[in-house]
Amino acid sequence: MSQTENLVNRLPNDIGGLGAGQIEMTDHELLPWEKRCHALADVLDFHKIINTEEKRRGVEALGTELVGKLSYYERWIVAFANILFQKRILAPEHLAVKMDEVQKRLRDEAARAARAGL
Amino acid sequence: MTTHPGSAGDGQHPPHDHDHDHDHDHDHPHAPIAQETEPSYFELMETAIRELLVERKLFGPDEIRRQIEVLDSRTPALGAKVVARAWVDPSFREKLLENGREACEEFGISFYDDTELIVLENTEAVHNLIVCTLCSCYPRPVLGLPPDWYKARNYRARAVIEPRKVLAEFGTFIPDEVEVRVSDSTAAVRFLVLPMRPAGTDHYDEEQLASLVTRDAMIGVIPVRTGQETA
Repeated sequence: MSQTENLVNRLPNDIGGLGAGQIEMTDHELLPWEKRCHALADVLDFHKIINTEEKRRGVEALGTELVGKLSYYERWIVAFANILFQKRILAPEHLAVKMDEVQKRLRDEAARAARAGL
Repeated sequence: MTTHPGSAGDGQHPPHDHDHDHDHDHDHPHAPIAQETEPSYFELMETAIRELLVERKLFGPDEIRRQIEVLDSRTPALGAKVVARAWVDPSFREKLLENGREACEEFGISFYDDTELIVLENTEAVHNLIVCTLCSCYPRPVLGLPPDWYKARNYRARAVIEPRKVLAEFGTFIPDEVEVRVSDSTAAVRFLVLPMRPAGTDHYDEEQLASLVTRDAMIGVIPVRTGQETA
């Protein structure tokens, strides 16, 4: 089988049966934002905005490089953004503006906390 | 998969005992604050998406917090209770194997998602193992969230092709005459392994039995053991 044919037959998520290294017995407590991201996935599913299979395909659509380099919940949140754009629920520019706003707000809060000697 | 050693609030690390760069210039000691570092790009994205969707009234402002409470309420202890009940109550066991979700719901475990649950019974002849090769589907209503290794590439890739070798890495050696059966989860169908009741537990009550049952035994990577047995 040619290399390119392989790429068509196996999308990035389809790794069952491939060779791989030793199982790394790792685990970690979710970071607060990761847990919020997981809860967001459930709430999006409850409201029939994005279901589990759409999320899985959204992660797959990120392509091999992003799937390989982003962490688990990083993949989820980027997939959600893309799906929400595709469904025209959000527009990229709205998200960009909101992210700037959130960043500024969190910086201001951190500065206030520092001034208060916390 | 990134791991975050010490992120579980173990209290072992004084806040200013480390040597990475700080973006603030005071040096007096202070209690760790909730967000010591700048939120990442992805964390900002999570907060921004959540806030935009709430502003657009696609879900309520309290729903994420409430779902976090639901997630926190789900741990392998629930699955362990189900297993112990199945060991002591043959009619429950039968019902559980026939329709996992209904049996769990009747047992008092609500399913907050739209998934079916198939319970796979380990016997002297068959050992079951669960995996999700495509992603990380898992019986979350009864076990909580999966461990990182379950979601990581190596387990997903290898469990379906060389399960005995994978099991051996968990210290589990299945005799050749025992069939190893691997079940691959999907978005809609989840699996739970009903492990074998260990020998020498005839005098255990249901609660004592439940205390023996671990998450990994219900994934199928280890058997259930009594405290006296060594691994």
